[in-house]
Amino acid sequence: MPHQTHTSHPPSPTARRRHVCDLDDFTREEIEEVLETADSMKEILSREIKQVPTLRGTTVINMFFEESTRTRISFELAARALSATVVNFTGRGSSVEKGESLIDTVRTIQALGANILVLRHSQAGVPYLVSHHFKGSVINAGDGCHAHPTQALLDLFTIQQKFDRIERLNVVIVGDILHSRVARSNLWGLTKMEANVTLCAPPTLLGPLPFWHASWPNVRLSSNLDECLDGADVVMALRLQKERQQAGLLPSLREYSRFFALTSERLAATSAHTLVMHPGPMNEGVEITPEVATSPQSVIEEQVTNGVAVRMALLYRLAGE
Amino acid sequence: MVRYLIKNGSILDPVQRVITLGHILIEDGKVSRVFEMTDQTPDYESAGNDIEVIHAQACVVSPGFTDLHTHLREPGEEHKETIATGTLAAARGGFTTVCAMPNTQPPYDTPEVVRHVRYISRRKAHVHVDIVGAATVGRQGQALTEMAQLAEAGCIAFSDDGSPIENPAVMRNAMAYASMLGLPMMSHCEDRRLNAGWAMHEGAVSVRLGLPGYPSAAEEAQIARDIALAEHTGAHLHICHVSTAGGVALIRHAKERGVRVTAEVTPHHLTLTDRWVLGSLMTQEVAPSWASPPRTGSRARRKKKPNDGLRSQLKLNPTLLPPYDPRTRVSPPLRGEDDVEALIEGLSDGTIDVIATDHAPHATVDKACEYGLAACGISGLETALALVLTLVHSGALDLMNVVSRLTEGPAQVLGRSPSSLRPGQRADIVIFDPELTWTVDAATFASKGKNTPLQGQELKGQVMLTMAGGSIVFRHGNFGKENGGKPRPSILEGILGEE
Repeated sequence: MPHQTHTSHPPSPTARRRHVCDLDDFTREEIEEVLETADSMKEILSREIKQVPTLRGTTVINMFFEESTRTRISFELAARALSATVVNFTGRGSSVEKGESLIDTVRTIQALGANILVLRHSQAGVPYLVSHHFKGSVINAGDGCHAHPTQALLDLFTIQQKFDRIERLNVVIVGDILHSRVARSNLWGLTKMEANVTLCAPPTLLGPLPFWHASWPNVRLSSNLDECLDGADVVMALRLQKERQQAGLLPSLREYSRFFALTSERLAATSAHTLVMHPGPMNEGVEITPEVATSPQSVIEEQVTNGVAVRMALLYRLAGE
Repeated sequence: MVRYLIKNGSILDPVQRVITLGHILIEDGKVSRVFEMTDQTPDYESAGNDIEVIHAQACVVSPGFTDLHTHLREPGEEHKETIATGTLAAARGGFTTVCAMPNTQPPYDTPEVVRHVRYISRRKAHVHVDIVGAATVGRQGQALTEMAQLAEAGCIAFSDDGSPIENPAVMRNAMAYASMLGLPMMSHCEDRRLNAGWAMHEGAVSVRLGLPGYPSAAEEAQIARDIALAEHTGAHLHICHVSTAGGVALIRHAKERGVRVTAEVTPHHLTLTDRWVLGSLMTQEVAPSWASPPRTGSRARRKKKPNDGLRSQLKLNPTLLPPYDPRTRVSPPLRGEDDVEALIEGLSDGTIDVIATDHAPHATVDKACEYGLAACGISGLETALALVLTLVHSGALDLMNVVSRLTEGPAQVLGRSPSSLRPGQRADIVIFDPELTWTVDAATFASKGKNTPLQGQELKGQVMLTMAGGSIVFRHGNFGKENGGKPRPSILEGILGEE
């Protein structure tokens, strides 16, 4: 069938990339290059003067239509560490509700001289729309339930730093998979790096297996966290939005925690090397207990630190020649 | 009034299901004579200069199409479409009758509004306009409209289309009341508690794209409910724009039991799938297996294989669109491959009676936005024939069936006399070239709605001339003025006998 024939011309590793909408169009080689660059960037961040002049004269606009603290600050610090000019733009609600269309907003930002647009929006797919109307580069900082590629790259970077490889690691992602952009981008990244991925959630937060297998053929699905944790090298808990319970997808948060939270007891059953990750912000006591979040196995804080390095690597990749 | 002689056309009779080579004489707005090729044809060309000859060789001459489901947007949203522009689009699509849906502002829910729309139609419309009255006041799904008075004012069916009637008791009463009038109840089947916040069909693509899904069950559950109510009331239930395999099965089963149910399907649901929302992402080497999810139960049983390779022959190419293109957003949404196969099968076996466009024009600003916030709908009148002909060219459907579902099917739903080109019939005629290839460019649409996911697609099959009530309402270029070309469409080889 014509729309099943995927032309096989993966971008060569050195090809200049214009946008980062998701990891679906990254090759393994490109991911490895980004992680290598992130390693150098991390070194810069450990210096006394955490700044290099690489992106002097480049304007980065953080366009956040949805609330975010850590991602926006992380991008801002990354851009500043590379000496770029950074402007934050916060829009509340949808552009349609404001009266100005998103496309008009983007054209305005372009006319103001932006080179790189870091975009967060509550609607899936917005980075593609924006990239169509913006002459510079777009980095997706999270769009609806679709993608959060910089989070996935920082997760990969963190795993790589701990294990020195990603291939063949058993990675469990537990939580609200169905509504998670973090899970989707991690699926692309982890499967490209040939990790074994298991998604764990109650069926109301997961959906049917064939729907996932169509895009990620080897992923495993489960609703039994204890089984999943057996042999896991990495376990990543996702934030559970309390609205899911209000929408009737869960009987109660208490019941969710009882069966799907990362607790000390569950962690005790894993091996000592199992990494605990969380993209934040955490609902402590819901999907993860405070003891687990601060346990020696937890790399949650390192994820945050690594996020700056990975975002520097991406900004450098998009702006550099 | 000008007399016309349509010469050397392949005259298609959707009632008798035959195609004959011949000529048709049109006088006083009516078909006055039909000549078979073997007949002695009087030399009308020299009989006087008031006869215009339309050379129709290589073309199919058919009764004009009836669109059972058209949104003309007037009154209230004239920036999206008007009766004038919508009916001109209809003429370009080969439709000589359109049934205007009542989700206007105000809706067609009082006899006064209906008379007003008929008044505008008489003055502005290029083809015949029939009016579907709202079933409930303000389309709010609560109080019944004055349906008998709407019928007196000329309504030919009732519907709250655009919205479902959520309260089953209201639906039951509407059906029972419509049955007194002998008019069909056209139902938009959607359980909005099952698809809250939806952006597209729930399936592998919605999961990949992170868009909220509209599960097939939200349509199927409502179809099942309405069939039960039709069975109970004895009313004529017409299911609008069925889009799911489960829906087709429910309708098939109901017809087998003798329930008075008819159904329509749109050209886009017959040919496009949810993968169109992926757009150019389809080219990336990122979706190794798009095999249909295995179905359980009765659906698995229905799985046939003759359609294998069917879509490989369709040259439609979703990768011309960017990902998340709002032009692919429509209600009900573009469904999965299995659904498309079931719809084609339903059309083949008579479960589905009608091909209707659900022409839903929108202004550019309604679509130039985030996918989940974009207006639902496809401007369909001007691509309908060519789109369903892709299925004829691929061998999935036969030409006779397709034309029948655009002519005889809607006539039956509306309880009208069979549509054939016989002497005495109103001269509502379409002439189309099933072989002519053209590229869709919405900028050339007569419709104000440029919202089509088919922009840039190459389609095969073009309406060349449309005649409504004996007047030419659309002519493609200089069509018919010159004699020449091949004698018959090659698609009809083997159907037509020797001359």
